[in-house]
Amino acid sequence: MLEAIAADAPAEPLRDGVVVFLESDCPTCRLTLDRFAAAGVRNVAVVFEDSAPVAARVARQAAYHGHVYAEAAPYATSERLAIETVPTTVRFDTDGNEVDRAVGWDRDRLAQLLGTPLGQDEPATKPGCAARWTYTAPPTDELEEMFELGYSDGLPVIPPTPERVMAMLGGRNPDATLGLVPPGMGEATYERVASCAVLAGCKPAYFPVVLAACTAMLDEAFNLNGLAVTTSPPGQTVIVNGPVRQAIGLHCGMGALGPGWRANMTIGRAVRLLVQLTGRGAPGSLDRGTLGHPGKLGLCIAEADTPWLPLHVERGYDATTSTATVIGCDAPLSISDHRSKTPEALAATIAWAAAATWSPNWWPLTDVTQLFVICPEHVMLFTEHGWSKDDVRNAIFAAPERRGADMITFGEAPPAAHADPDASFRKWLSPDQIMLVAAGGEAGRFSAVFGPCFGMGSTPITREIQ
Amino acid sequence: MSTYVSPFDETTATPVAFAPRPASLAGARVVLLDISKARGSEFLDRLEERFRADGAFTHRLVKPTFSRRAPGEFLEQVKIHGDLAVEGLAD
Repeated sequence: MLEAIAADAPAEPLRDGVVVFLESDCPTCRLTLDRFAAAGVRNVAVVFEDSAPVAARVARQAAYHGHVYAEAAPYATSERLAIETVPTTVRFDTDGNEVDRAVGWDRDRLAQLLGTPLGQDEPATKPGCAARWTYTAPPTDELEEMFELGYSDGLPVIPPTPERVMAMLGGRNPDATLGLVPPGMGEATYERVASCAVLAGCKPAYFPVVLAACTAMLDEAFNLNGLAVTTSPPGQTVIVNGPVRQAIGLHCGMGALGPGWRANMTIGRAVRLLVQLTGRGAPGSLDRGTLGHPGKLGLCIAEADTPWLPLHVERGYDATTSTATVIGCDAPLSISDHRSKTPEALAATIAWAAAATWSPNWWPLTDVTQLFVICPEHVMLFTEHGWSKDDVRNAIFAAPERRGADMITFGEAPPAAHADPDASFRKWLSPDQIMLVAAGGEAGRFSAVFGPCFGMGSTPITREIQ
Repeated sequence: MSTYVSPFDETTATPVAFAPRPASLAGARVVLLDISKARGSEFLDRLEERFRADGAFTHRLVKPTFSRRAPGEFLEQVKIHGDLAVEGLAD
């Protein structure tokens, strides 16, 4: 029984036309479909020996615009027509009788069968694979099935069964929605958010944090569309404050940036899966990131308790409220400072490390908020001298200063430096662009600065965790 | 296959078919869409020369910012002014 992927596809494609039988995991089938698409072929009906979602995804990846069908096991049509190899391309007459057949990829033979040139790209021929009905397939491995369905960020996931998704929803309305997720504008129903949370490995107790972070991420001022498609590397980093950290085991101590902590790893991953799957912002697809970075798998940081004001209080929330803040971040750069004895010296070290981010000579960074994670020993040095977060921010802002002449000997110097070599430049326009979060193990003087999300006009957003 | 709760919104899955290529550029109205990235306009300047040499009429539009989706009314302008459009990237 053939299942049409599109509603307007003819119910019976096996007459008066050409049909090609394919499988999703056959390289020759992929090659054939790619070549048909590249040659502008649209009048060949494609029958996948796969599930409908897999057939739709593979056709979409190939940008094939003809009619697509799926046939489930036991692949009765293939067996009836004795399609022993995929790809096999068959022409039928108006009565449904087979009049021509080509097996495997054979460029010139297929061009003859189709009456359409198929280019000159190599290989000219390539043998196919055994059709599924001809052998006994091993039992379905549900973890492998997740990859086939595209429900993954490249790592294994937890299958989102209805039972698991229902548990994740915790009684919430599955049809309630957070809105549309850029760049593909899929709708983030609670059910789909819960599916992403299950896939990521979240416990149901983490779901309120995932919901708050996703709500923040979909705020227009965050500009997720820009972050999701840019060639630059930013991911969506989540920072959690408030009592929920202890309640669900979010870790803010040793190894705070991971790996190793389930709540941190899976909450960050669920947020990114929503972008990649519901939002169709998968790397190499709508996500055009040149390199990306490992933090785009997911990154959730919990701020540690210190004498400093926590981030959410700085942003206007009560200390007893739990919040999730999202910020666009490139990869972290570790900053070692084991020698500074004064807060001024330490702030200068941190600032000059940050001065190299984005590009060593791109000064100033005009539209970014840049995240710094300050480790406990560094926090201690600052607080022992009575320095607040504002004091540190002001010192970081003030430390890097360069003359235009010092920059124009390198590449990527600002045009203003060429115009006035005596002009003075800073890395940022304001101390307000510097976001400070405390986290990390008690021992070790390693703080970090995250590469900025530049050029996106992205504003960090905080939302209360309900 | 078991039943799973899909994270995908299948209403966004339909691929958009390419419009047929025009047989000729002579007399065609071509929108040159500048997405506001550095030096994108230089690329479009060169294309504009070539289009005009082929007899096309050109119309320049500038997207407010490259990092956000084009507003709906902007896309309407593309449709009003062009039989076809070229989107000028950069980098």
